[in-house]
Amino acid sequence: MLDIENITKQFGTVKALNDVSFTVPDGQITGLIGQNGAGKSTTFHSILNFLKYGGKITWDGEPVTEADFDNIGYLPEERSLMPKLTIEQQIIYLARLKDKPAKVIRPQIDDWMDKFAVKGKKTDKIKSLSKGNQQKVQLICTLIHHPKLIILDEPFSGLDPVNSDLLKKAILEARDQGAAIIFSSHDMANVESICDRLVMLKTGSVVLNGTIGEVRDSFGKSEVYVTTDWSSDQLDQLPHVVKVTHIRDQRYLLRLDDPSTGPEVFDKLTGGHYIQEFSQQPPTLDEIFRMKAVTTHE
Amino acid sequence: MNKTWIVALEIYLRQVKSWSFVILVVSPFLMLAVSLGVGYMSATSGSNTDKIAVISNNPALRKQFISTNKDDISQKVTTTNTAKRKVADDKLAGYLQLSVTNQQVSARYYSKESMDSSLKLSVENFLNKNQQALNVQNAKLSSGQMKSLSQQPIFKQHIKQSSSSNDIVKIASFWILVFVIYMVLITYSSVTAQEIASEKGTKIMEIIFSSTKASKYFIGKITGVMMVILTQILVYIIGGYVFYEILRRISTFRKVFDQYQSLIKPIIGNLLNVNLVYLFLGVIIYTIVSAFSGALVAKPEDAPKAAQPAIYLGMLAFFLTFPFQSNATGLVVKILSYVPFFSSYFMPLRIINNEAGALEISLSLLVLVLTIVLFAWYISRIYEGLILQTDDSSFWKRLKRGLSYQS
Repeated sequence: MLDIENITKQFGTVKALNDVSFTVPDGQITGLIGQNGAGKSTTFHSILNFLKYGGKITWDGEPVTEADFDNIGYLPEERSLMPKLTIEQQIIYLARLKDKPAKVIRPQIDDWMDKFAVKGKKTDKIKSLSKGNQQKVQLICTLIHHPKLIILDEPFSGLDPVNSDLLKKAILEARDQGAAIIFSSHDMANVESICDRLVMLKTGSVVLNGTIGEVRDSFGKSEVYVTTDWSSDQLDQLPHVVKVTHIRDQRYLLRLDDPSTGPEVFDKLTGGHYIQEFSQQPPTLDEIFRMKAVTTHE
Repeated sequence: MNKTWIVALEIYLRQVKSWSFVILVVSPFLMLAVSLGVGYMSATSGSNTDKIAVISNNPALRKQFISTNKDDISQKVTTTNTAKRKVADDKLAGYLQLSVTNQQVSARYYSKESMDSSLKLSVENFLNKNQQALNVQNAKLSSGQMKSLSQQPIFKQHIKQSSSSNDIVKIASFWILVFVIYMVLITYSSVTAQEIASEKGTKIMEIIFSSTKASKYFIGKITGVMMVILTQILVYIIGGYVFYEILRRISTFRKVFDQYQSLIKPIIGNLLNVNLVYLFLGVIIYTIVSAFSGALVAKPEDAPKAAQPAIYLGMLAFFLTFPFQSNATGLVVKILSYVPFFSSYFMPLRIINNEAGALEISLSLLVLVLTIVLFAWYISRIYEGLILQTDDSSFWKRLKRGLSYQS
């Protein structure tokens, strides 16, 4: 388990991290979200000891040292490999730096290339690959040594939906094998679909921290999805409805001023008759992200 | 395997397998081969017009003469008619008729010009030797008389090497050495600085630093470059030796080597002694500085500029040696022979001129080695900060921020 306790980091006059604390449990996926410059990469750099910081970061109760590097798989934000090497040379070189002998890694390369549907031969030079395929090779380099702590900085950026699914599958597989996984993303759908936990940073401070359910529930079930033949104006007249958003056809999203008024709205809307949909939910992560990015939740 | 070695081996293999390295190592030999080939061709072209034919009704006598004068004789011509025709056509310088008539050895030379003096001497010696053998045979001498007659006078030359030839050795050794140091140094400074600068701020460095410490990576990188330099020096030494041995077996060059043996041997001696250690260590210290300046560029696009500090320093030391090439005893030379970055030029200058004792050389080497270790240690500690930070500000701001990146 990775424990981050009260870490702070200042660059000149800029406070990049301010008393940041959270945990990344084994066998779980933690999503780290936040706007650009919120401190996500600085957090990752602190975990990897690229920076000196205030506070404490421990892995299984001990400070992270060079001895732990072999159990870490790190994918940086921008993609970068050694263009003159072949796919095989690149994977083996980085695996050897993780203390995995070439003879152990070499037989696995074909399977990993199939798993990520990398187009090309393992003898192809990195520079001859498309951007997407280079990204997949980099993902293989991050995961092939079966790390126990996986740090992925924006792993989905630039991937199409098919390749995103391949990556999600690989991340879930690593989680099932017991790895502690933390990744940053701007795509809340990805976070919501695979994360167990969520941490949101805003200007270097933690503003959200908990399981996906806990975070969403903390905002109350103030949103109601309805499918009805009522018009938008009619819905707007309902008590406690502060906002009506037309989604499509006869489907609407109602925002309530108080989640406890849901049954009252249900009674008014249905009048005791059948209705195709009435689903009261907390806000989506995407909505929470937008809300939090603007203001801090009290 | 130790991660430093993994990095060193990767750097080494990547560089020695590159075309630029192969060209760098092979080109001097190619240039030498081409220039010597051209020299050989011009020396031997039309050589038949300098050769003579030997005609004789006594095959043993002809064979004996040819065996001692192979280079001057066209062996294919065996008849007088052919020889006459070839002389007329200017394809032979002349022909020599050898015969033994009435216990007398005789030689007649037919040509448009008189015989070359060295060949003439050789012919006279040959005739004398054979005539003497015939005379001894005819005189039917006892073994004691034979022994008395075979007594030879002794003639030995004792030549003291002139100071002017000594000076030539020193100057030639000096120029060859400083040029080799300068060229190797410039090459490796550029390669190292550009390679490190091209990694600056790239994410591959973050991946590598999440696998091993930056200090280990830096030391591995420098070790890899050191191995490349050693390989190049070894190829030059082995290749040079093989080249020398091949040339020595070619008569045209053997004559030149024999003639200038008194110059060639001491020059090779001056290059293959402790000066080689100075060459190696000199390149290492400049390479480390290049790595440092490479890590200080603002962004990878500035890589070509990265080697400039090391190259300018190398040029300064190189040009500074010029005024002192014939004044190895000067105080400036003595001082600079201990100062790292300069000692690689100035101590060899003193060594070539026999102006430095073992203690002085050891002391200078110790200072150089300690400086290299200290530099490598310090830069390896701040390397992570220098490489990971990408700050498009002034040089001094970048340096300051790089140094404080880890604090």
